[in-house]
Amino acid sequence: MALQAASTTTDPPARATTPRRFRGERHLLPYLFIAPFFLVFGVFGLYPLLQTFWVSLHDWDRLAGAGEWVGLENFGRLLEDSDFYTATFNTLSIFVLSTAPQLLAALGVAWLLDRHLRAQSVWRALVLVPQYVSVVAVALVFSQLFGRDFGIVNWVLEGTGLIGDPVDWTADTWSSHLAISFMVMWRWTGYNALIYLAAMQAVPRDQYESAQIDGAGRLLTFRKVTLPAIRPTIVFTVVISTIGGLQLFAEPFLFDQQGNAEGGAEHQFQTLTLMLYKYGFINNDAGYASAVSWVLFLVIAVVAAVNFLLARRSERG
Amino acid sequence: MGPTRARRTAAALAAATALLALCACGSGSDAADGRLTLTVATFSDFGYKPLIEEYERTHPGIDVKERISQFDQHHNQLSTQIASGSGAADVVAIEEGYLPKFRAVKDKFTNLADHGALDREDEYLDWKWEQGTLGTPGFVMGYGTDVGSLAICYRKDLFEKAGLPTDRAEVGKLWPTWDAYFATGERFRSRVGDKAWFDSSGNIFTAMMNQTEYGFFDARDQYVGDTNPKVREFFMASAQATADEQSANLQPFSQQWNAGIKQGRMATMTCPAWMTGQIATAAGDAGAGKWDIAAVPGGGGNWGGSFLTVPKQSKHAKEAAELADFLTSAAAQKKIFTGPVGALPSLVPVLEDPEVRGTTSEYFNDAPTGQLFASSARGLGPNYRGTKDQQARIPFGNALQLVEQGKADPEEAWDKALDEADKNLR
Repeated sequence: MALQAASTTTDPPARATTPRRFRGERHLLPYLFIAPFFLVFGVFGLYPLLQTFWVSLHDWDRLAGAGEWVGLENFGRLLEDSDFYTATFNTLSIFVLSTAPQLLAALGVAWLLDRHLRAQSVWRALVLVPQYVSVVAVALVFSQLFGRDFGIVNWVLEGTGLIGDPVDWTADTWSSHLAISFMVMWRWTGYNALIYLAAMQAVPRDQYESAQIDGAGRLLTFRKVTLPAIRPTIVFTVVISTIGGLQLFAEPFLFDQQGNAEGGAEHQFQTLTLMLYKYGFINNDAGYASAVSWVLFLVIAVVAAVNFLLARRSERG
Repeated sequence: MGPTRARRTAAALAAATALLALCACGSGSDAADGRLTLTVATFSDFGYKPLIEEYERTHPGIDVKERISQFDQHHNQLSTQIASGSGAADVVAIEEGYLPKFRAVKDKFTNLADHGALDREDEYLDWKWEQGTLGTPGFVMGYGTDVGSLAICYRKDLFEKAGLPTDRAEVGKLWPTWDAYFATGERFRSRVGDKAWFDSSGNIFTAMMNQTEYGFFDARDQYVGDTNPKVREFFMASAQATADEQSANLQPFSQQWNAGIKQGRMATMTCPAWMTGQIATAAGDAGAGKWDIAAVPGGGGNWGGSFLTVPKQSKHAKEAAELADFLTSAAAQKKIFTGPVGALPSLVPVLEDPEVRGTTSEYFNDAPTGQLFASSARGLGPNYRGTKDQQARIPFGNALQLVEQGKADPEEAWDKALDEADKNLR
């Protein structure tokens, strides 16, 4: 009521024609509509974020609860922990290995789907199938495919003579990163392809026609017409993939079937979220795990900001 | 993404569930006719179904629900439920390896001694009872369910191929000690070169560690992994045998491990009573009659076995304690052992029961499982587990894996294990 009264006094004269009883609502309604988001975000986003920071400043056992106040000690310990650097490297490495080929492949798939194909919608639906399959199932199937003893991948590689001895995919850094990246690519390529496809369909057809009239080939049209037109969408998928890629958990967690979040005997595929899970839920060291999660949050924020700046620059250029 | 966030979310979910439950109370008959629902949470099948049916018959007014989840998930969930103060079942199973982790919060569990548990002390194997009391006089955290007395399962056909004796008594005589076991492995490998001697160095190391009273932690819960000579002895023995190519390098309980059992990649496996079920499942019908069971080197040992506890957050602690008592009673344990689950009882009268003693396993060449497992269960002592036992165990397991992967020799692996354990125990 107070708001309504206040708004009456500040209303510009031009709006005086609006019936009196709508005036306040006009100012309140939009906020009311977006309020649920902020409420939910406040409860499930902001509050946990702050609470996590609070926990990270303590020696906090998940079972016993709050212990001694330790200030920034958990963060200091993290910066001295070689596992943290291994996990950061692993996260970035798997992210790059999976995202770059995945987005390129998605572009290719979208380009193919954008032409006049028979049974168009069937192809489009099929591309999304990996998304329907539970990530647990995907990880289990892939860890079987990449099995040392009876895995199909080794069988094929040995059959073609590319390798002499079977590869123990979980044992080394490069091999485990590669295998995990394949899982991520399998799951997300189709999804990104559909987003690209939607963007491509919005490209005005007359641009293609004029390119054709000018004698441009398919590849040239793609490079000079399609790509610039869908650039904002590409930026969007890069940002989304970055956020997802930096939080990669299920695939590496299920890859070695140990369920202990070690990420291999030398943590060769322990990502930051795996490390967070290990300390938080296996070692019950909530303080340290909270420090990891805050650093992860900061890393993602920085990467997202860099993404944003690059995108802005490319849009201007 | 922090653990707190998960905790809060869990708390919120639990609150939502509680609300739903409240609604059910208002409209349903729970309060009106005095009916009571108790939940029992276990990991894997404990064989409780027929027992629960019996209990519901003899206790009109009580409904019992079973909740079964996967091993690690079950215990991690319990941590969350204890931490958030709600959501735990009325009766919850805890495996002995996880028990110490909950020692620090034992005040969150009902002291079963307040519900007459002390009367049952005499029935139990001494060491099992002691584990369940956490060594605290007057306190009983859980009723023991089963024990995992150790043996060695071996492939009879492969032993024959290597010219080794195949009769289980003679096989047991081949290895009075672990040194003799590894020496037999050398003999076997020199004749059957394409098969390994055992499945995984981790399992060998675990079995050996389960034969000592104190492993990674001493009686004051101090970490002694770096100074306890036994730890080094067992680690180096398992690592050396692995470096000598006796291990099939299969990560325990993985798909590869199951496939390895089916394909018969190794001649022997460390075999607690519950492992026989794992082998039979993995090897399938084709493996029937190929396996047999002999005594374990070093004379007995315990691996696995659980306890039934009642978290304090249960609204029906008295009834829950009664149910836990019933599910671990002599009659119940005997029924479970002679049923399909076959978990070995932890009660002396049951272990001495002629019917239990006479049990044999058809799958394992009619091996007298009752005799083999029940007799060695009697001669055991408790092995002490530290509060952070798991956190010490994992780095040592990782280091053994490095030897299996050819990335480190035993000495290097040992150094690495010590460093990593120090780090993990901070």
